[in-house]
Amino acid sequence: MLFNEVYSCYYNTVSKIIEVSINGKLDNKTMNAIIRDIAFAESGIDIPQALKSRRWPFLNNDLSTVIRHKPDRPLTLLEKRWLKSLLSDPRIKLFEIKQEGLEDVAPLYTEDTFVRFDVYTDGDPYDDPKYIENFRTVLSAMRNKRLLRISYTDNNGRTHNHDCAVDNIEYSLKNDKFRAIGACKHGTIIINLSTIDHCALLDADTTSCGYSMVRKKKELIAQLEDKNNALERAMICFSYLEKETIQTDDTHYIFKLKYFEEDEAEILIQVLSFGTYFKVVAPQEFIEKIKSRILKQKKLRTRF
Amino acid sequence: MAYSELIKNFNKIREYMRQFYVYGFRSRSEFDFKSARSYDNEHRRLQSWLGEYMRFRHEEDGKVVFMSIDGRNLPCNPLYKAFKTKSFTDNDITFHFFVLDLLAKEQEYSASNITSLISSEYLSYFDNSGYCDESTIRKKLKEYVRTGILKERKQGKELLYSRNESNLNPDSWSDAVSFFSEYSPLGVIGSYISDCTGKSDSPFRFKHRYIFQALDSQILYMLITAINESRDIRPKVKTKRIDLIGNNSVHPLKIYISTQNGRQYLLCYHIELNRLLFIRLDNIIDLTIADVNENRETYLKECELLKKHLWGVSAKEPDHLEKIEMTIHIEEHEEFVFNRLMKEKRCGSVIRKDPHTCVFTAEVYDAMELVPWIRTYIGRIEDFYCSNPEVTNCLNRDIEKLDELYGGVCDAV
Repeated sequence: MLFNEVYSCYYNTVSKIIEVSINGKLDNKTMNAIIRDIAFAESGIDIPQALKSRRWPFLNNDLSTVIRHKPDRPLTLLEKRWLKSLLSDPRIKLFEIKQEGLEDVAPLYTEDTFVRFDVYTDGDPYDDPKYIENFRTVLSAMRNKRLLRISYTDNNGRTHNHDCAVDNIEYSLKNDKFRAIGACKHGTIIINLSTIDHCALLDADTTSCGYSMVRKKKELIAQLEDKNNALERAMICFSYLEKETIQTDDTHYIFKLKYFEEDEAEILIQVLSFGTYFKVVAPQEFIEKIKSRILKQKKLRTRF
Repeated sequence: MAYSELIKNFNKIREYMRQFYVYGFRSRSEFDFKSARSYDNEHRRLQSWLGEYMRFRHEEDGKVVFMSIDGRNLPCNPLYKAFKTKSFTDNDITFHFFVLDLLAKEQEYSASNITSLISSEYLSYFDNSGYCDESTIRKKLKEYVRTGILKERKQGKELLYSRNESNLNPDSWSDAVSFFSEYSPLGVIGSYISDCTGKSDSPFRFKHRYIFQALDSQILYMLITAINESRDIRPKVKTKRIDLIGNNSVHPLKIYISTQNGRQYLLCYHIELNRLLFIRLDNIIDLTIADVNENRETYLKECELLKKHLWGVSAKEPDHLEKIEMTIHIEEHEEFVFNRLMKEKRCGSVIRKDPHTCVFTAEVYDAMELVPWIRTYIGRIEDFYCSNPEVTNCLNRDIEKLDELYGGVCDAV
């Protein structure tokens, strides 16, 4: 069963409380901090009450515990089956996993059960040993907080070399691509992993390099007319962005979307896909880009 | 019943979460659920679970509560928290920690031993801490064997229970689990694993991540179970689709996922109508798993044939194809436009006529499905033809109305 109490936040919280008690470090303040960290806002009342009243008889009055071993649990069959399913995903090759322990387990699903019907076809080469090595090097740089020396080739065939501090590795589901996002001496740097020719860890760590990442966000404001399910489609299409929706009358809404500056071209394409039901009213530069497209179309042909 | 932040049944909160997150503009009076009290309870739960993402503003009709989540900056899906809220009894949690502790260090005990040890080794420390009932312990042990946490072994007439440890190396899986729990179907299970192993520091972020997909995880899990066992299902769907599905059985075949809007669809075979059809997972309220169907392979062969002319998830008339031909103009330094067509063409084809022209063609069941995509090439469409005149008219109207909408764009001479 997917929805089961063994996965419950309360079980995880009590587990941590008991662990800290075994280490002799539990007091009321620590207990409350654990609850705030792992559980929910109202759990701060329910959990201590249940422990102190002995409805859950794990703690003595002095907050020592009758449990003898650090609480943990074996993985469930569901969890093992899900892990087994991952072994048939081509992206699993990027990770240096040890596969022992899943031999007797059937996968929860097979890859061919799922069809990502609109994913772009020029995704990253997960079978390419050089790509895999680069991926692992970038990941290692992040994990160990080391600077990375990267050499990559851009769309125009020019080679670039940078020393950078990688902040995160971003995956795009639509593009099926990974990219490293970080900072170099020139500011923010974003590199598609498939364009990396070579990368290597440097001895220097990222904490003292002085590189900083600044990614500017812009706000788009649009008027939406709810025809042909445009509202639902827009809400879902832009649901991955920070947004706010305000209803102005029965069929009209104001949309406010926040996006990274470097994603503007992509947002433009998404806005165009809504046709006339989605009218951008700000920022002006965005409107000019739409107008430029309309003008280009008028020069080509306006009627088919 | 007294309020609790934990719940028995996930379905109850599923629709509320979707409304708050996806629609986020309705006031209390506009939610058409059971009662105002239901709204208040579910709102209170969501505030407790996801308070840091809840926002509100005041409008004429009342306070509007909505979720505002920048999915891109989060290492893990915050909606997974809702799956960690299953309610339980005091006996459930007591059993969990006592039994796993007793069976640590490869210990093995029978149910009756476990019952007496819980009393003597744990409950004896406390006054009035309840009575340990052997039949309840047996039921829970069986349940934990089914979930895979424990295993049982017969010794003579007795069953002995022990922890079902594996030699899986959780550290080696840590980064993979961080990634796949956000990318893979039923990623919430990866989140469970991360909680269990104590690993939470993910190096990954995700663009185009549709976190609301998590809300359909229960339904997806049941569908996968039915698919694995080649069983029919009887889905209970929302009103707008009920006239198509009714109380009939369908055979689930594949799950279609859009990476561009996050929607998930079940491709299934409708037994009575004798045809393939798509149902959105968020329209499935619940489902019953039914009998094994021996015709699965036949249905899958039909799926393969369907794929050849399927643009998205519409096969309204599988015996009738509509043709589209779109000529795209490419200016100097715009090779990316050709690259875009090549990677986005799906079941269509692209021919390069000359350095400034390429032609996209496709034969599909429902050409209207391509309209949103075609619109994204406005500014570059040199010529367009579709055997369905409605599509061509739609494009013409769009170009004309866009021009009006943005104030009649003129040549700047």
